[in-house]
Amino acid sequence: MLQHLIALILRYGIPLVFVNVFLEQIGAPIPAVPTLIVAGALARDGRMSSTSVLTAALIASLIADWIWFLLGRRYGYRILRTLCRISLSPDSCVRDTEATFERWGMKSLLVAKFIPGFSTVAPPLAGATKASTLEFLIYDAIGAFLWAGAAVASGRAFHHAIEKLLQKLEDLGWWAVAFIGFVVALIVLIKWWQRRTFYKKLRVARVTVDDLKAMLDRGESPIVLDVRTRGARKRDLRRIPSAIVASSPEEVAQQLEHVPPSNPIILYCT
Amino acid sequence: MLIDRGYIEVRPLFGGLDAWVDAGYPIEELLE
Repeated sequence: MLQHLIALILRYGIPLVFVNVFLEQIGAPIPAVPTLIVAGALARDGRMSSTSVLTAALIASLIADWIWFLLGRRYGYRILRTLCRISLSPDSCVRDTEATFERWGMKSLLVAKFIPGFSTVAPPLAGATKASTLEFLIYDAIGAFLWAGAAVASGRAFHHAIEKLLQKLEDLGWWAVAFIGFVVALIVLIKWWQRRTFYKKLRVARVTVDDLKAMLDRGESPIVLDVRTRGARKRDLRRIPSAIVASSPEEVAQQLEHVPPSNPIILYCT
Repeated sequence: MLIDRGYIEVRPLFGGLDAWVDAGYPIEELLE
């Protein structure tokens, strides 16, 4: 079975790399690094071309990222929030990514692919900030090259170990397939359970805009904190009436210096 | 961070500022 699979990789190696990288970069939970490492190992043994693997990865990555960039440019922060819903904490996902991007600017694209979670979110964020397309493509291409290059180089460096592993898996036959399937299913199940539990807690904790409006109308005095980044506030000057603005943990601490711990606090970002 | 500082009721606003604006509730303009 695995013999056929490896033969398939060798036969359709480059299109497989392309599809795998594209799917990962577009947001599907299918990691491309293992494929790139195996491709690198096969390239070291002369069974694939490193240049072709890198070119396929680079083009696939650029196409997927450019789609996200255009969506970010068109739909702004809404697309980012939709994307961040995949993550465990949508609010902090948007805010943290935005803060990282604001700090490093387009240079963050150089390392974005090495940071889990940031990789898919950075291109639409660049689009939402109305960054220049040419600048985006240059930084994104360098970032994609570094990322794919590192994976392929690792495969080339550890090709003996990878060959041995592939051989062992081949010897195990169907048992290897069953074992890998079981491990993948277990990881997905654990992640799903963690997310389900988290969302259950979050649903209880979150307050809807109608609830907040009713609280304010009743004269209750929750502290409403606007915790958007400075850049986000610059782009959108609106705020909920009476909301306290605080971008950093220091500002939050300063603003809440005289607020007793029993006081309800409601915070919002985008 | 707020919970660590002793605040016992810290709740995120579902949908954030966009949801508040979409619901047609009043807003203020920041002076920045």
